[in-house]
Amino acid sequence: MSENVYLPQLARIVHIKDEVPGARAIKTFRVEFMNGGGFDHEPGQCAMISVFGKGESMISIASAPTITDYKQFSIMRSGRVTTAIHDMKVGDVIGVRGPYGNKFPVSDWKGRNLVFIGGGCGLAPIWPVIQTAVANRMDFDKITVFYGGRTSRDIMYAAELEKLRGQADVHLSIDSPEEGWEGYCGFVPANVMDKPQRPDNAIAITCGPPIMIKFVISNLREMGFADEQIYTTIENKMKCGIGKCGRCNVGTDYVCVKGPVYSWAQLKSLPQEY
Amino acid sequence: MEAILKRNRLGQWITELQERAEIYAPDFVEDTWEFAKVGRGATVELNHSNTVRPAKRFVFPQREVLYRFRIENSQSPKLTDTEPKVESTVVFGVRPCDGRAMVRNDRVFTCGFSDPYYQARHDNVVFVGLACNAPPSQNCFCVSVGGSPHSEDGLDVLMTELDGRYHVKALTDKGSDIVRSAGDLFQDVKAADMDDVGNAHAIALEYSQRSISSMEAVAAALRRNFDSPIWDKLARACIGCGACTYLCPSCHCFDINDEVTNKSPLTGARVRTWDNCQFPDFTMHSSGHNPREDTGARLRQRICHKLLYFVETHNMQQCTGCGRCITHCPVGIDIVKIANVMEEGVWQ
Ligand SMILES: Cc1cc2nc3c(=O)[nH]c(=O)nc-3n(C[C@H](O)[C@H](O)[C@H](O)COP(=O)(O)OP(=O)(O)OC[C@H]3O[C@@H](n4cnc5c(N)ncnc54)[C@H](O)[C@@H]3O)c2cc1C
Ligand code: SF4
Ligand code: SF4
Ligand code: FES
Repeated sequence: MSENVYLPQLARIVHIKDEVPGARAIKTFRVEFMNGGGFDHEPGQCAMISVFGKGESMISIASAPTITDYKQFSIMRSGRVTTAIHDMKVGDVIGVRGPYGNKFPVSDWKGRNLVFIGGGCGLAPIWPVIQTAVANRMDFDKITVFYGGRTSRDIMYAAELEKLRGQADVHLSIDSPEEGWEGYCGFVPANVMDKPQRPDNAIAITCGPPIMIKFVISNLREMGFADEQIYTTIENKMKCGIGKCGRCNVGTDYVCVKGPVYSWAQLKSLPQEY
Repeated sequence: MEAILKRNRLGQWITELQERAEIYAPDFVEDTWEFAKVGRGATVELNHSNTVRPAKRFVFPQREVLYRFRIENSQSPKLTDTEPKVESTVVFGVRPCDGRAMVRNDRVFTCGFSDPYYQARHDNVVFVGLACNAPPSQNCFCVSVGGSPHSEDGLDVLMTELDGRYHVKALTDKGSDIVRSAGDLFQDVKAADMDDVGNAHAIALEYSQRSISSMEAVAAALRRNFDSPIWDKLARACIGCGACTYLCPSCHCFDINDEVTNKSPLTGARVRTWDNCQFPDFTMHSSGHNPREDTGARLRQRICHKLLYFVETHNMQQCTGCGRCITHCPVGIDIVKIANVMEEGVWQ
């Protein structure tokens, strides 16, 4: 197709997995590009997903960059577009344009300990980073993954997280006790406090609801992590994804181009408009 | 390339250009000055002050179809019409502030990812500027933001009216082309003509305009005062109508939406339309969270974008001092006053 940046490529949904039930349900969609299309992506990058007749939404690419046959998106039912995609079936066709945004600087982290801290839907954006780290396991020292949901039914990627245990320390949590739950009970930041992480030679990557991120960062700071050792992503409403429509800025930065990945040191220097 | 055009030959130049392009010029339509299409044989006077709507719509129209989609009974979608078909267009009577705004719009739409719709329109439009000889309107402040009543930036041709004639200066290839193609209508420029041009430009600069003394100081003050309560005070009267940004020659924000014309087979278009940072839902997330919750935060965004962020990114203000946002604000919110308040820190 042409080089028109606004024109999405067509991709067919080949698999749908229910991750989390409820009003704000999360489903993971696996899509394959049609007509020989496709693109490479880096961990942390996003794509604009189209449901024709409804519109577009910016969604993190949740599959590992090494997977070229398909891409995965974990999408929370939220408004017009995300509801429409939740109503789609295997075989239906969506539009995808991208990749957009910057990436997690994973290659700068060789030899380091990586601490991932996710909550709710926030596992999706950091999942390709976890996958990249695990695929290059020898390049990194300790890998630790904290992840929590409100209840056990809100834990996304449950099976994948179990599989991850062989290569990383995985600490799951739910907000309040449930019968049969063997992991931690309490909020994600508390789970991290409960298993203090050494800041030496470590990088912490956190993503989730803003309130969780706030407490996670304050706890990491308490453990001695420097601002430069903490990475997160920010979300702002987006339409174009390419720095033109003018709505996703935080100060001088258009998040769709300069973000969504920021170190806490970078984010602290920007106005709080996210 | 410079030439002289007798005033009474302007019509003939336009008639010749109509053979190959659509011609627009300011006209008094429904009580306001607007760029309007010039009909065959119509007279063009070029005696306007400035149009209410800026010239940006020739490169960035208020509504642009990006492409059409069609889905026949659960087959895969067909996407068509992706390249805008644009007629050759020549726009007369563009004031230098609108020309300079084009330089800003170019930065937005052609840096990084190139915008094919903007580019196609830009390639096919010739902006013929008209220097401001008359005293400025009450809200003009082009000089404070680095411009002038005869700035050439962003224009293809600059015309300066002299006694009974125009000095016509082509500034780009597109500009030279429309002058050269009607070569026999023009005369060579003589030394006396150049003296007259110099005089006209000098007189224009002698009129007083509204002013901001130091744009650097304003930028620094904006950086310092992001969290100041002054923004709520300054924005208190704002009704969020958006006139200030719709009418701004360099405001470029847009929305993208799907317009469905038929449910089955699903047929419609993906369309972009001007949008506005003064509207609450401009930044409101689907969760209801809004990073710019009140009019203070939204006014701060408009002013900071123009006088701070754009300067940090592109090394120029994203305001060319046309004064439209001041003149047309129903409640008197005034970017010059705000800049001065910021710089002087009078509320502190
Ligand atoms: C960088 C980035 C990564 C994201 N990754 C994911 C992800 O992996 N999974 C996921 O479920 N969600 C993700 N989101 C949020 C997702 O984009 C919004 O939930 C979604 O656009 C809402 O669209 P809607 O049409 O369902 O909602 P509506 O409320 O109907 O929204 C209408 C339009 O507003 C815009 N919009 C509204 N809220 C947001 C928002 N929070 N962010 C961006 N645009 C918005 C969209 O253009 C949307 O089409 C991400 C957002 C960003 C900015
Ligand atoms: S901000 Fe106001 S004065 Fe400046 S160019 Fe835009 S409309 Fe004109
Ligand atoms: S024109 Fe005036 S009232 Fe309307 S949105 Fe702009 S500042 Fe507010
Ligand atoms: S989404 Fe349009 S500028 Fe970032």
